[in-house]
Amino acid sequence: MTECTDIFHKALDGEASSEELRELLSVVNSDQHLKKEFDALTDTANMLEKCERVPVPASFTTNVMGRLPRNTAPGKTFWNFLFGQRVLRWNMATAFAVALFTVIVGSVIQIQNKQFAVTPASYTENANQVTFKLYAPNAKEVAVAGDFNKWSVNGSTMSRQTNGMWTVQVPLKPGTYNYMFVVDGKVWIPDPNADVYQDDGFGGKNSMVRVSNL
Amino acid sequence: MHSDEGAIIRSCIEGNSEIYAILVDRYKEMIYNIAYRMVGDLEAANDIAQESFISAYSALKDFKGTAKFSSWLCSIALNKCRDHLKRLKPYVALDEIADTVPCSYGMNPEGELLRKQLADRIQEALNALPDEYREAIILKHMEGLDYKEMEALLNVRADTLKVRTHRARDMMKKLLGQWCAHD
Repeated sequence: MTECTDIFHKALDGEASSEELRELLSVVNSDQHLKKEFDALTDTANMLEKCERVPVPASFTTNVMGRLPRNTAPGKTFWNFLFGQRVLRWNMATAFAVALFTVIVGSVIQIQNKQFAVTPASYTENANQVTFKLYAPNAKEVAVAGDFNKWSVNGSTMSRQTNGMWTVQVPLKPGTYNYMFVVDGKVWIPDPNADVYQDDGFGGKNSMVRVSNL
Repeated sequence: MHSDEGAIIRSCIEGNSEIYAILVDRYKEMIYNIAYRMVGDLEAANDIAQESFISAYSALKDFKGTAKFSSWLCSIALNKCRDHLKRLKPYVALDEIADTVPCSYGMNPEGELLRKQLADRIQEALNALPDEYREAIILKHMEGLDYKEMEALLNVRADTLKVRTHRARDMMKKLLGQWCAHD
């Protein structure tokens, strides 16, 4: 009986050999009690598999997105610390102290900006204009996201050409960059015409572009 | 794993949190249903499912991509279900589940009602299983995973999971058999 039950379960798991299945058939056909047992087990599995799915509340995604921890990106926390809005209780002494502090901090920031500022000009200096192209005649919007724009879907929006081709020029310094196209803000696809593809470590593939010194 | 998930995850880590909605939309049905089948309560399932997505988001940096994102997310949800059940632990005795509902639900004018009753009975029977048996049979028969996927997700040997599934099936058969008369 126990041996039969084991074969029942193997059959339900789809792991019984053809020989075991033949044996199972002959057993259940010759023994009404075992047939009932097997039918009951099969019905149980079927009932579970066909059991209706519970519909997810419509607001689920909105609720999750609203509860995500904010500003987890490196640098953003510090930015908020400096510039986030706060409600302060104050008096005149505090106001003077804050004003003095602001002047000092402002001066320091100005000096630092002069010394270390990275302007668009210096960023594009020695950079090559790399053109990304994707043929997507039915797309409403296309962007390229990659190492060079921190994988932002809004960083490098592409322009639609009359022939269904989408293009954008991105200034890139010599080096190697991973990237993907983002169609309609949702669908991520690798560049079908990329020179090289690289495993992204998550089971997918990134397109890769090499920008040379020339 | 969908081919775009690596890029989506990387984008989230870079701070583009809005893109995480793609993953929430993709897996909310699976996670919500697993949570409901595990805890048997819609409100608790909603909380657990939401918390699972939020915990996964907070830990994205630790996700190495060696498993599927869905499996990783599912294991987070199951851990939260276990914690929830540990806090409550209202055990439903097997003999509390009674009444008679015929198997041929859905084939007559009362089909909708009977289907609902059967779904309730199935949930009650699931609630009566030990937690480990319940999660095994939910993943096997309600989510359609194979034993290798379950092994990776639960970090339990496939052979052990087979035994748990078999025992869970036997228990479910007995519980459902009390009201599901065989022809």
